[in-house]
Amino acid sequence: MSDPIVALLMLALFLFIILLGFPVAFTLMAMGIGFGYYAYFDADRMWRAYNRAIEKADPDQWDRITLWFDGLFNNRIFDLFVNQTFSVMANDVLTAVPLFLFMGYIVERANIVARLFHTLNIAARRVPGSMAVAALITCTLFATATGIVGAVVTLMGLLAFPAMLKARYDTSLAAGVICAGGTLGILIPPSIMLIVYAAASGVSIVKLYAGALFPGLLLAGLYVVYVVVRSMMQPHLAPKPTREEIGDITVPQIVWQLFTSFFPLAFLILAVLGAILFGLATPSEAAAVGALGGLLLTFAYRAFTWQRLRESVYLTVRTTAMVCWLFVGSWTFSSVFSYLGGEQIISEFVTGLEISPIMFLIMAQIIIFILGWPLEWSEIIIIFVPIFLPLLPHFGIDPLFFGILVALNLQTSFLTPPMAMSAYYLKGIAPPHVRLAEIFRGNYPFLAMVVLAMIILYQFPQIAFWLPEQVYGK
Amino acid sequence: TAAAPKVLKMQTSWPASDIWMDFARQYVERVEKMSGGRLKIDLLPAGAVVKAFQVMDAVSDGVLDAAHSVPVYWYGKNKAASLFGTGPVFGGSATTMLAWFNGGGGRELYRELTQDIMGLNVVGLLGFPMPAQPFGWFKTEVNKASDLKGFKYRTVGLAADLLQKMGMSVAQLPGGEIVPAMERGVIDAFEFNNPSSDRRFGAQDVAKNYYLSSYHQASESFEFLFNKDVMEDLDPDLRAILEHGVEAASTANTAIAMDNYSKDLMELQSKEGVTVHRTSKDILSAQLKAWDEIIPTLEADPFMKKVLDSQRTWVERVVFYELMNSPDLALAYDHYFPGKLKL
Amino acid sequence: MLAYIQFADRLSAWFGKAFAWLILVMAIGVGYEVVVRYGFNAPTSWAFDLSYITYGTLFMMGGAYTLSRGGHVRGDFIYRLWKPRTQAKVELVLYFLFFFPGVLALIISGWKYAERSWRYMEVSVNSPAGIPIFQFKTVIVAAGILLFIQGVAQVFRAILCIRSGEWLIADEDIEETEVQLAKQKGVGPGNFAAGTAREDGRGLKEEYKDELER
Ligand code: NA
Ligand code: NA
Repeated sequence: MSDPIVALLMLALFLFIILLGFPVAFTLMAMGIGFGYYAYFDADRMWRAYNRAIEKADPDQWDRITLWFDGLFNNRIFDLFVNQTFSVMANDVLTAVPLFLFMGYIVERANIVARLFHTLNIAARRVPGSMAVAALITCTLFATATGIVGAVVTLMGLLAFPAMLKARYDTSLAAGVICAGGTLGILIPPSIMLIVYAAASGVSIVKLYAGALFPGLLLAGLYVVYVVVRSMMQPHLAPKPTREEIGDITVPQIVWQLFTSFFPLAFLILAVLGAILFGLATPSEAAAVGALGGLLLTFAYRAFTWQRLRESVYLTVRTTAMVCWLFVGSWTFSSVFSYLGGEQIISEFVTGLEISPIMFLIMAQIIIFILGWPLEWSEIIIIFVPIFLPLLPHFGIDPLFFGILVALNLQTSFLTPPMAMSAYYLKGIAPPHVRLAEIFRGNYPFLAMVVLAMIILYQFPQIAFWLPEQVYGK
Repeated sequence: TAAAPKVLKMQTSWPASDIWMDFARQYVERVEKMSGGRLKIDLLPAGAVVKAFQVMDAVSDGVLDAAHSVPVYWYGKNKAASLFGTGPVFGGSATTMLAWFNGGGGRELYRELTQDIMGLNVVGLLGFPMPAQPFGWFKTEVNKASDLKGFKYRTVGLAADLLQKMGMSVAQLPGGEIVPAMERGVIDAFEFNNPSSDRRFGAQDVAKNYYLSSYHQASESFEFLFNKDVMEDLDPDLRAILEHGVEAASTANTAIAMDNYSKDLMELQSKEGVTVHRTSKDILSAQLKAWDEIIPTLEADPFMKKVLDSQRTWVERVVFYELMNSPDLALAYDHYFPGKLKL
Repeated sequence: MLAYIQFADRLSAWFGKAFAWLILVMAIGVGYEVVVRYGFNAPTSWAFDLSYITYGTLFMMGGAYTLSRGGHVRGDFIYRLWKPRTQAKVELVLYFLFFFPGVLALIISGWKYAERSWRYMEVSVNSPAGIPIFQFKTVIVAAGILLFIQGVAQVFRAILCIRSGEWLIADEDIEETEVQLAKQKGVGPGNFAAGTAREDGRGLKEEYKDELER
């Protein structure tokens, strides 16, 4: 069996083990070491000390056995493994992961969401589907403060979802708004997903953030447009608010409420994103400042408790460990995979297909879309996307552009069954009569918006490239 | 029939696009030719197996068979590493100090450091005496030592200690991050190594004043690292080829360095609008004063003292001869190409 | 076995949580760098080293804690359909094939790696400050040992599950999760967390399995 075939076997076996549901990080680690032992097997090197001892002196039986065992473990895969582990530990891009997570957890606890949503709801009252629009804008703003999904969906699911149902909104429409809006956080910078992509691909995280900003806003904009148009065409799905629902409120009151709810958060976001995009600070530095700023906000809104701080700290370590241990496993796995020639054989196969760049792009995105049903974004980006990355130069595709398409694409992985996390979070907190099927039905139009956003981005790549070019030149 | 060639995996500390990959390739080509195909070297850029700064560990462990790097990259393990190329300047050029390594006891001291003191399983050699490294890139002119205060400057190794002493705040960044850091204002001045490497990563896009001549890294050479077990298991002739190949590549490297560095310097001026300056006497003497302050702290360590003593002894004798003997080359240059030099 | 599982859960949680507080050290240290850089034109020479040392230590030491709370990603769309007993049987085998070899390699090779770094008291090359990193390399060994201890507990869990047909879940220490919320609705916003997101979502999926199958 040739080495590249062994590499393909390695990949196939890995896919099979994933199905068995064992934690992926450790599966990758063990398989990397197992196949690496084979790949780096070098009898000369391994039993060099043993053979020398036999030649020179005549060691006793015990010494022979220990030397032989030492030899058995004298395979360079073990050193390579530790080296790769240390590379993950000392990776200066991934340092931003815990900091942004921490910032997100802190901001979630600052009691801002409720104020923001109520204010926007009133401010948008004349727009068709006003409450849904307010919910989407709230989600978008929160997306720029947190890098993860889950909390935003739950927060909004508790707050905006019952409010919409009470205002006689269609259940599916309301559910779709919450799920899709709540998922924006992993796309709009700062997002953990983009940091992870940067670490996996070597693309500058700063450029990725600059590149993802407008596509993220484009998608949020498409969501709003969809809601407004749908509400205009079928007003019964999103009835206009009545006077008593809104209450008597003057314009200065609205402005004051906006001032106290919207601006502190907006300022924090602008400070963090601005510092990154204008090159005043590295993403990690901006995240650290953002986390401290978030802490200040919790004090300002009198939302600080030690309990909340503890939660944020403990959740940060768990989520960081989840993401970064995947890297520990996958860097060892993929270096063995490519050492065996696996990367090479895949690239030869794909380039041998003689497909056009657009065909390749569509094929890659469809594969990622399908992977997004059963798998989670972290597995996809850390393990599967790197298989496509070496092929990009052949097709002349910019890895920055590819990364943003992937980030858009993976929005769908939270919305499509069977592993539609956003839908499950919402179901978990929704009134019992709301059925999962209704939530899924509400998600489908938003999935269509994701696909539309990808097509628009493909047609007008400047949406992604314009900002990075402005800030960093070509 | 010929036996299968012995394949060695050699990683550099340079990105694939750096001109130094070509320098390393010259070594590889020479070794393969001289061995009549019995040795093959698989040459990889930084990051292919391990990161640029991790090659020493990797060679010692046998993850790599060999590496092409510089000693200053592992000075975190032992500061004495920096004395092999980026230490105090007593008057010797890189050529003088490479001669110290090969003929003045440096090689044995290096062996003592890596094998006896640190217990590393490596054999290391130095080759290619690098032209002195420019003081680097500034957005505005710097004429006096006092102009340097408050600058955020990038360099590496003992040079960082040196420039910190001169009132700069020093950041040590990997080569690839220098230009983005300049754009972001994280640093506002930097040095890397030579006109070709500097130009390839885009130094001229972020600063227009290029200062040549400096005592911060005046005598560096490449480090060729080999796993000791791998070396010892080779036939004596192959081992000799690997060792003497370093000497051969040294000459070849000097030729492409002279050719490319000078061409790139010309084009930086003519095509990229860069102003090339000589670093002022005031700054250079301030550098020497700063070295004066650093040397005693280094000599607190007995091994470092031993190395510095050996270097001083060598330089005192050899450079006396070099300087007394060398004709005034500037005079000859100016005679044939008048008006060009601005020393 | 039960006692050991509880011991391991508590040990992992203790270390995971203790090192979790490094996030505050990290945020304050890196934040300080930004302030002195812009406020006083005096950047530090240690903030960069501090940032990756705290990050690396935090996530490595949190690995066992995350394992004990079922927080590591698994592709479990088939796994979830099995009876707990089947899950446990498969997992028992997989722990020996795909967990202990890697973790042992981490401990043993990590030891070799760290021991050498101690020998020359290695410091970081990133700054003239000479920030030590030998202790940081030792984290590899410590994290490996914690994972090993927790791994044994997970094996015991599988054995107990094969016997009883039910998984023994670790005590939940972060009360405010989405699942908790689902159970005690009406808690005001700002009171809960998102991080256990994944495992909770999975739990939820379990609850609504009937509906899913419809
Ligand atoms: Na975000
Ligand atoms: Na330099």
